[in-house]
Amino acid sequence: MDASGRDLSDAPLEIEVDGLRKTFGRREVLRGLSFSLERGGFLVMFGPNGAGKTTTLRVLATLLTVGQGSVRVVGHDVREDPMPVRRAVGLISHSPMLYLDLTAYENLRFYADMYGLEDREERITELLERLELSHRRYDVVRTFSKGMRQRLAIARAILHRPRVLLLDEPHSGLDPRAVDILDGLLGEIRDEHTFVMVTHHIQKGLELATRLMIVDGGKIVWEHGAGVAPDTFNSAYREHVQEGSVL
Amino acid sequence: MGFRQFMAILRKDLIRELRTREMLVSMFLFVMLALVIFHYAFGVDEDTDLTYFTGGMLWVTFIFSALLGLNRSFAQEKDEQCLDGLLLCPVDRVTIFFAKMTGNLVFLLIIQAVSVPVFTLFFIERSYLADIGLFLLVLLLADLGICTIGTLLATISMNTRARDLLLPIVFLPLIVPVLIAAVSATTGIFADGADLGDLAARLGFLAAFDAVFMVAAYGTYDFAIGE
Amino acid sequence: MKKLTSAPALFAAAGAFLAAGLLLAFLYAPVDASSMGFSQKIFYYHAPIAETALVAFGIAFVAAILYLRDPDPKWDRLSYVSVRLGLLFSVMVMVTGMIWGKAAWDAWWAWEPRLTTFLIVCFLYTAYFVLRQVVEEESRRATYAAVFAIVAFIDVPITFFATRYMPEGLHPVVIRAGDSGMEGSMFLSFMISMAGMTLLLAALVRADVAAARLKDEIDDLKTRIGG
Repeated sequence: MDASGRDLSDAPLEIEVDGLRKTFGRREVLRGLSFSLERGGFLVMFGPNGAGKTTTLRVLATLLTVGQGSVRVVGHDVREDPMPVRRAVGLISHSPMLYLDLTAYENLRFYADMYGLEDREERITELLERLELSHRRYDVVRTFSKGMRQRLAIARAILHRPRVLLLDEPHSGLDPRAVDILDGLLGEIRDEHTFVMVTHHIQKGLELATRLMIVDGGKIVWEHGAGVAPDTFNSAYREHVQEGSVL
Repeated sequence: MGFRQFMAILRKDLIRELRTREMLVSMFLFVMLALVIFHYAFGVDEDTDLTYFTGGMLWVTFIFSALLGLNRSFAQEKDEQCLDGLLLCPVDRVTIFFAKMTGNLVFLLIIQAVSVPVFTLFFIERSYLADIGLFLLVLLLADLGICTIGTLLATISMNTRARDLLLPIVFLPLIVPVLIAAVSATTGIFADGADLGDLAARLGFLAAFDAVFMVAAYGTYDFAIGE
Repeated sequence: MKKLTSAPALFAAAGAFLAAGLLLAFLYAPVDASSMGFSQKIFYYHAPIAETALVAFGIAFVAAILYLRDPDPKWDRLSYVSVRLGLLFSVMVMVTGMIWGKAAWDAWWAWEPRLTTFLIVCFLYTAYFVLRQVVEEESRRATYAAVFAIVAFIDVPITFFATRYMPEGLHPVVIRAGDSGMEGSMFLSFMISMAGMTLLLAALVRADVAAARLKDEIDDLKTRIGG
């Protein structure tokens, strides 16, 4: 069931990962990851640094090639057929992926053109308003504060109305106002969208998730559905995550 | 869709550069400096006619200033991590290549538009205005070769440790044929006036070089830019 | 078959052919009638070494393409080993070429097409190693090296063409011994040397690839033990 109590068991699978392995040189970062997520689901991944969470997101986003195993997003194999995946996926990560010497408008216009948006101008205006950046529309991004850059990055990520949103610690670096805006946005588009979020923010993670996962050393060490109490989660974390496995 | 994306990338690079002028300024300064250095390097008196050497001087200058520009064009993508944003988009990697290549070509042409008249003024003792069309053709074809190879290699070298050092090392040996043909053709035009037979051979060679390496870049660019 | 193409067998065969070639060159083939005289005999090594170097780069080219299609480390090893051997042979071409030049015309260097091309080839493939050195991550290293090996090999004939047909002024194609028809005894000695040199390349490739694979396996074990 998802957060509003709807039954998700019949929903189609948006993400299917089977035996995903990824090696960087000699380092095996992902060691046979397998999970699936149905449409409308919200998966939250926890785990120590270096566990492979970000790598997983990047594979889902087609930024990294699959080492071994299979990964399907919105019904397409990321290796054979990456284009439809890219159209359907949005990524919010640590870096805003914005051109500092371009204005907010120019940045969004660029991405709108790259995604082939039909209603480019309206969409840009709509998002700038939603993220409370309209007054800085023609200002160069270099003049933006960090919080504003993250807000614009959110606009960039959802510009093309992706069905699947990948969030890599999206709340880090945001000022309280931006956090509210982001949470509000996520709440608005919650239905009909699928999410995978990496976070260290346990409370938010537990609230939002329909599925929970702890990843350590490139493997899933603990999984659970929604409705986990913080205490339960904390003990599970302590139990399954090896000490000193951070690096 | 491909064309729209091509234009989007090109527009973005042009706006960025025109706004900051980082690349253009350093390329331009380099050319002017080269002018001065060449003058002293030859150590000759005022009357000596350097027309015959100007072709060589110009192309050496262009190649090094192109290197400056090539490095910059990808350095920015990489540093601001915008490359990820670009790769997330449903765009053919080859479209990215052509857009980047065209951007580099535009910048190189801008630099040449300024430096050719200046070098002509300083070093060339006879008018080649009659052959100006042919000269521009040589310029364009050679520039295409430089930008094709240069863009492919810059894409690779931007992901390496010593990217500013690597690019010249891999680029210069590959571009020697273009240099030879371009200098030979240019010197011919400057010094003796265009000889259509010779010139046709060199233009043909440059065109063939461009075609061959564009195909090579087309085939390998996915690998150069992906991960 | 495995026995026949194993490294020791190949080395033995190579040794036999090369020794035979040496004997034939000095005892059987006549002294060259032209001005070069006795020094011409270095041709029996110079030309085969040159052609073998090109074969090595060709192997690297094919291996690179195969690697891009199917990222198996064995193709990368083959490519890398072949480039290294090709470079080694290329340096030998330069050395023998320069010795010949000094002996025949009393000049250590001449800007003639073959020597110049090989000089550039040396720079080109040295750049290959610099590239491998500065790419930090192994899977990318192999991919980038493959792209470069492909582009570099395409550039070799283009460079030769350019140095031969483009430059203005007097660039005599001096080393003609291979062009004019060789008489029977010279031809035989040449072919035997050629065969020997090719066998030597095959033997070296075999041995080097095996050594490279061993090294990779050891490194793998080290990583696994080290944790």
